[in-house]
Amino acid sequence: MAGRSAEVLLGLGFAGIMTTLFLGFQWAPSVAIDAFESPAAQRIFYWHVPAAWAAFIAFAVLFTGSAMWFFKRSPLGWRLHVAGAEAGLACGLIAVWSGCVWGAAEWGTPWDWTDVRLNTFGLLTLLALFLVLGRQSQPDGVESRDTFSTFGLFGFVLVPFTYIATRIWEIRHPGPVVGAGDDGGSLSGDMAIVLFIGALSFTIFIIGHILISMRITSLEQRLEQAQHHIDGGK
Amino acid sequence: MAEVLLSIKGAEVRRGMGIVLSSFDLQVNSGDIVVIHGANGSGKSTVIETAARLLPMEKGQVSHHQHLTLHSDGRRKKPIKPFGLTLQSNGVIGSETIENHLRTVAALAGKEVDLAPLLESYDIQHRTQDIIAHLSGGQQRKVAVLAGLLPAMVCDEPTLVLLDEPDAGLDDAAIKTLTQHIASLASAGHGLLIASHNPSLREIGTKLHNLEAEKTGVVNAAEPWKTRGQPTQTRNILFRTGHRYASSTHAGLARNGLAALMVFGCMLALGDPSILPSGLWLTGGILAPAFASGLAGDPTSHLMQEARANDWWRSQGQRTPSALGLGVLIGGVVTAGACYVCIGEIEIMLVLIGAIMCEGTMGGVRLLHASTQRLARPNAVFIRLLLPAFILPWALIVSWAAGL
Repeated sequence: MAGRSAEVLLGLGFAGIMTTLFLGFQWAPSVAIDAFESPAAQRIFYWHVPAAWAAFIAFAVLFTGSAMWFFKRSPLGWRLHVAGAEAGLACGLIAVWSGCVWGAAEWGTPWDWTDVRLNTFGLLTLLALFLVLGRQSQPDGVESRDTFSTFGLFGFVLVPFTYIATRIWEIRHPGPVVGAGDDGGSLSGDMAIVLFIGALSFTIFIIGHILISMRITSLEQRLEQAQHHIDGGK
Repeated sequence: MAEVLLSIKGAEVRRGMGIVLSSFDLQVNSGDIVVIHGANGSGKSTVIETAARLLPMEKGQVSHHQHLTLHSDGRRKKPIKPFGLTLQSNGVIGSETIENHLRTVAALAGKEVDLAPLLESYDIQHRTQDIIAHLSGGQQRKVAVLAGLLPAMVCDEPTLVLLDEPDAGLDDAAIKTLTQHIASLASAGHGLLIASHNPSLREIGTKLHNLEAEKTGVVNAAEPWKTRGQPTQTRNILFRTGHRYASSTHAGLARNGLAALMVFGCMLALGDPSILPSGLWLTGGILAPAFASGLAGDPTSHLMQEARANDWWRSQGQRTPSALGLGVLIGGVVTAGACYVCIGEIEIMLVLIGAIMCEGTMGGVRLLHASTQRLARPNAVFIRLLLPAFILPWALIVSWAAGL
């Protein structure tokens, strides 16, 4: 069981995500008909927000791993960097894709190049894509790890920027709807429950994803060391 | 007492994930000819590139003229005195003429010199005004070797020279000349570190290093080198060289101008721009070509990838040549053209915004490009995935300009 904890977490998270999808479409209360242009599409919210939340966790892991590699040359740090980038890409794409579908229904356009949160989050996802593809395009080495870690460190600047974006420039994205204090919160109890299940499921899923990704990277490193040894390297 | 020109202490260097040098120490004094030899893959080029500050170190430090230039903790300082470098790749841009390239190398050492006798000694004087790409492989190598020796040839003070397989591709006569030059430069007080398998170079070595042990004792009795350079201005050399690279290849026109033309052509293909409603769309249409031109990046960045020219320049200073200001020119011209076609007159304010936008975007792309140059395969990395980062600022500027 202990050896399979990553798979268990991934499976549990996936089941939770599917449950969230079901609850979001079938059980969560409808929003007021005059509150949204497309009230039915609002149900995407229960996937969109938890996916973005999980992506932020992954980007935090990416940042931590990048810092650990860059400053301490920690192999664990590099595995965290790789896992954070892959998990950030997976959840970032879910958040971006679901946001585009929702945006097309609600705003009449899937993307708005002037919305700051949309753009900074899209850029974070592109950064994760760059790191994932970039790592595959380069031979593993100190130079490539240093370069990609630098991008991981600088890229994290976008996370707080994305978080505060709607507080400063509320263009398309609404301001905070959870934990916004007395005047801003707009979630009913049942809505909050589905959102909570979604956030928990995505969090469990992302932890499982990161653990599996780290294990794969570790195996890749062992394989490379074995090949290097066979080649007669030191 | 001999001056210490190069000191490598306790160096540990990786290539990929393998350790190539471990606890490596080396010193080059004035008058020394240190020849590193050893089997392929034993780390000869790694020593040269570490000494030239091109490789990061896991441990240890490198000093030029007893001043720290590279430390394993990441500190990297420009050497206080010029040094010569010939990499295994020639490190030259094919579109440069021999004369321009060698004059730039001499100018980096703060000198100018009559090149004719030097070129004649390598039998390439008749090709002085030819661009390097038109030379044979051996002739190109001669230029690269001369470029490596030149800082020592023109400087009065002891100068460090790093040569990586300088004899590769040279004919017998050129190797003989090279051997004489190396010996006379060492006699004049310069210090040379050479990676080579060539027996004639090993013969003149005052220290032989097989990467495990050092052997000393050979006395160099050659006539000292006599040619000296005259002082010259080195101000703005990166700027001037970058613009020369861009203008000699017309790369700015070909890359950036064409990108602008393509965007503008596509817009014109959709209809008459003069009927666009004034405001956001019209301003966006006028500024789009300048933006596209900036996104094509600095034309010199691409030229610098030829034959490791980028690494050669990186070793000489902290920066590489760039066509700074070219974006202002191209952005201004294309925005003026777009203004004229779309609104029938040239709006100075829009031209100014287009020029600054193009230069700013080009600078940002240059920065992204430079950040991946340490990678083993910089051309294979997907750095352009991050270009959408420029769209939001562009949209905000267009929206601001539309309100003017």
